[in-house]
Amino acid sequence: MTIKILNALIAVVGGVVGAIALYWLLNKLAELLPGRWEDRIKPYLFLLPAFAAIGLTLIYPTIQTFVYSFANQQATEFVGFDNYADLLSSSNFQNTLFNTFLWILIVPAGAIAIGLTIATLADRLSPKGEKLSKTLIFLPMAIGAVSAGAIWKFVYASNPPTQDQIGLLNGIVTGFGGEPVNWLQISDFRFNSLLLMVMLLWLQAGFAMVLLSAAIKGVPTETLEAARLDGAGEGSIFFRIVIPQIRTTLITVFITVLIGVLKTFDIVYVMTNGNFNTNIIAVDFFNQLFTNNNAGYAAAIVVMLLIIMIPVLVFQVRQFRAEEAAR
Amino acid sequence: MSGTQAVTPTPVQAPKQPVSGVTRTKRKDATGKSPLWVRIVLAVICIVWVVPTFGLAVTSFRNQTDATDSGWWTLFTSPANFTRLTFENYGDLFAQADMDTAFVNTLAITIPATVIPILIAAFAAYAFTFMQFPGRDLLLILIVGLLVVPTQVALVPLLKIFGSLGINGTFPAIWIAHIGFGMPLAVYIIRNYMATLPREVIESAKIDGASHFQTFWKLILPMSTPVLASFAIFQFLWVWNDLLNALIFIGPNNNAPLSIALVSLLGQQGQGWQLLTAGGLFMMLIPILVFLSLQRYFVRGMTAGAVKG
Amino acid sequence: MRIRSSFTATATLGAVAVLTAGCLSEGGNGGGGNSNTSDTIEVMYAFAGGQEEGFQAEVNAWAEENGYTVNFSQTGNFNQLINTRVQGNDAPDVALFPQPGIMRDMAERDLLADLSDVVDAGELEQHVQGVLETGQVDGTQYAVPMSINVKSIVFYPKQPFEAAGFEIPETYEDLVALTDQIAATGTTPWCFGIESEAATGWPATDWVENLYVINNGADAYNEWVNHEIPFNDPSVVETLEQMDELLLADGRTNGGRQSIASNNFGTAAFPLFDEPPGCFMYRQGNFVAQEGVLPDEVIADLDNLVGVFPMPAESPEDKPVLGGGDLAGIFAQDNEAAQELVQFLASADFGTLEYGASGNWISPRTDFDVELYPTETWKTIAQIAYESTDFVFDGSDQMPGEVGSGSFWREMVAWISGGQDIQATVDNIENSWPA
Repeated sequence: MTIKILNALIAVVGGVVGAIALYWLLNKLAELLPGRWEDRIKPYLFLLPAFAAIGLTLIYPTIQTFVYSFANQQATEFVGFDNYADLLSSSNFQNTLFNTFLWILIVPAGAIAIGLTIATLADRLSPKGEKLSKTLIFLPMAIGAVSAGAIWKFVYASNPPTQDQIGLLNGIVTGFGGEPVNWLQISDFRFNSLLLMVMLLWLQAGFAMVLLSAAIKGVPTETLEAARLDGAGEGSIFFRIVIPQIRTTLITVFITVLIGVLKTFDIVYVMTNGNFNTNIIAVDFFNQLFTNNNAGYAAAIVVMLLIIMIPVLVFQVRQFRAEEAAR
Repeated sequence: MSGTQAVTPTPVQAPKQPVSGVTRTKRKDATGKSPLWVRIVLAVICIVWVVPTFGLAVTSFRNQTDATDSGWWTLFTSPANFTRLTFENYGDLFAQADMDTAFVNTLAITIPATVIPILIAAFAAYAFTFMQFPGRDLLLILIVGLLVVPTQVALVPLLKIFGSLGINGTFPAIWIAHIGFGMPLAVYIIRNYMATLPREVIESAKIDGASHFQTFWKLILPMSTPVLASFAIFQFLWVWNDLLNALIFIGPNNNAPLSIALVSLLGQQGQGWQLLTAGGLFMMLIPILVFLSLQRYFVRGMTAGAVKG
Repeated sequence: MRIRSSFTATATLGAVAVLTAGCLSEGGNGGGGNSNTSDTIEVMYAFAGGQEEGFQAEVNAWAEENGYTVNFSQTGNFNQLINTRVQGNDAPDVALFPQPGIMRDMAERDLLADLSDVVDAGELEQHVQGVLETGQVDGTQYAVPMSINVKSIVFYPKQPFEAAGFEIPETYEDLVALTDQIAATGTTPWCFGIESEAATGWPATDWVENLYVINNGADAYNEWVNHEIPFNDPSVVETLEQMDELLLADGRTNGGRQSIASNNFGTAAFPLFDEPPGCFMYRQGNFVAQEGVLPDEVIADLDNLVGVFPMPAESPEDKPVLGGGDLAGIFAQDNEAAQELVQFLASADFGTLEYGASGNWISPRTDFDVELYPTETWKTIAQIAYESTDFVFDGSDQMPGEVGSGSFWREMVAWISGGQDIQATVDNIENSWPA
């Protein structure tokens, strides 16, 4: 135990001191060069460690995975587009894709709607009340999926009607004289997937709320006052003035939550493991890789996830360029 | 939230007026108080938000039979049950699951994986912001693009790389993975923040003969505290709560962090879940403390680097 | 914002090409070699709770005596994580496989040591043969059992069961009659739940397997498990119909058919101990009769509260038993400490110290002294295994992962709770079988 604590301390101190020493050394090396070369080389030396980390952990593996996606189960020979064809023709995977699209459509929009509502309302509270309510709603962001799974188990749990209910929802339903419902197994209209999305919304709406709230406070009071003097109602002020003013923030929050959605793994993994028609791409990937031991399918699945991300990526880059141009 | 939380912060509009220092008029009705319905609606939302966690907290103090026989709210309908509350689950948790080791492991994983990337990213962000060099824009766009790449793509190849180095199952493997996975976000938000720092400061430092290295240390780094804290929160929460990467690069062994230890409480036959209530709550403590104490930096760090106009 | 240098782009492309070229060469040998030769041994396994505590105590005592240190790695996701550990070149020294399918896969990839020279053949003769055989690939022993579990056990609430005048069934026909008899009293005869978090569905597969071996015998059972008999064979359809009649029909299961899939397999048994009982029979493995599944009060007074009988077959002489076990295999091929540990796990000594008395473990050796088990219930269960005419290993544990921990679970849920018809259920599972 003490060894581990020491180990961690050494890692922190060593990591930080090591990094400083590395940069100092790189800097010194650059200074040895004649003046013009020093200025030319130095930026790259400053970037080197960051890009080494990115290259090792992201760029090279992504290329590797792309290649694996055209190889067979154990990656011993190439099979062309077979993995993609097999997956896309399987009804299970089609369901998985459909669910993934639902998550993409619903969660970011939901997070913004909830975040915006809370931000707008909280803006009207006393500073103390605003701070408290925002903290309470922001707090789930600190909760991991393992804990969240335990928390929501006691919301969605279902016991047979002959026993007392331990899930809150069924407690309410039976309290009003209803029959307990197996919430996570109702796949009509993908209701159970919606319930899992509620968990993600619960975790992420606070994040949307905090950023949107900061943006709303940035809308100049004079503009709002002027609109009020012109006789505009609160509703039209909100949609005609506030929303356009916070457009950039809205886009950021949307994309951020969207990326979070595409990476969602643990909620579904701990709650249903993709059963009852709730499977999504990230969970399917994990199961193909480690339950079915099929590296080829797994790689093809993440490459498809990557392809779904491309429009977001393009949008993100264009957005970034537009901002840089405005800077 | 951890594994699923990815963030592309910034282009958030900064408050047009500095929030601090200037008194803003709150949007309230004529009486100067917020309307009653607003307070009621928010109170309801807050209760809905808190109740699930509260339910877990209550359950963690109930014994196995009570927890499976009746809902946690029955505690309040028949207060006699208060006498049945117990610390048994917490006791069992530490006795059976070796939580203290897992706790130390989690710290040993999280702290280096949070601290080390900050400095590396700050240097890169500095180069992107204050230095001119060929390929700068292209490299920056690469960073922006990598923000959206799902890290699952990297898992298997990285597992094999670490395998050939023989470091799987040890702390360095998971440190490297988290440092790399967090790097694009770190560089991106720190650079966006640095871009809002006044250029004149740098120029005058240059005139005084300071090198880039000195400017970075003495000026830019201290001025960037909010964004560094902001990233630190993100990275800390995500590493602390991470399950997927921990499963793959550490796996179950004596270096396993809390997330793995908790999931392991469930045997293959699913027994032991009542310990999960206590464990789930225990695991939340530190992140919530960190979060609450650094919260004020969060918005400042994230909303800087806004667009002008 | 233009690209200032096409050089960077070209360089990137070049790097991509070089990296890509080297890709496949290292793909094939997903090797998890392990060359540990030190005195520290890592053991990875899936069981938790009391079973784990007893195991650690027993092994630690042995390790201390022999000057070894044993590190314990426990995981509920054994099958997935043994794969990551092997792929990451970080295999444990010794693994206790809860399911033989993945163990055979590892053996076929030459990752496991041949145990023929490690464990004496005479020792192996003492093991329950059905379990021992699952540790073999082409006749070579790659893993030896270190525990067994018995899944053909029906639990009943002793006093109410006897007070109501119910008789322990000797044959399957008796069981059906008993079920009808209990149902006629207005109480649901069975308790049954298949919810188990991410593994929801597995308890239903055990039922199907148990009925299949009762109907068709061990040989046909093994052919079915090995896919020599297709999954949508009429014999399987018949088994599902039989289960439907016995267990799923109206008034047969506490809470009704709809509750089964959301009812945790363990807590589902609790109504056995209600007053009056919510049900009288519950078929499950012996592991529910240890701390952590059944209520603590019941475990504390097991012999008084709980009775057990084996799932009866066609005749009283016919005693097929469905079960499972943990199989010990060695990844560290030349590690003497690991070899000695496995020798110890397979020996008559293992479990005599305190594991056997812990009430959390059943020895796979038929010569194990049943008097060491702490309760009558536990002794009876062990005897059911030792006296079985055929001990067959849990089929879903042996089928490929896509089926055994995938479609078989999933389709059981769809059938039981979703009302999917039987033919569609077996067809779906058959279609999911990997080529």
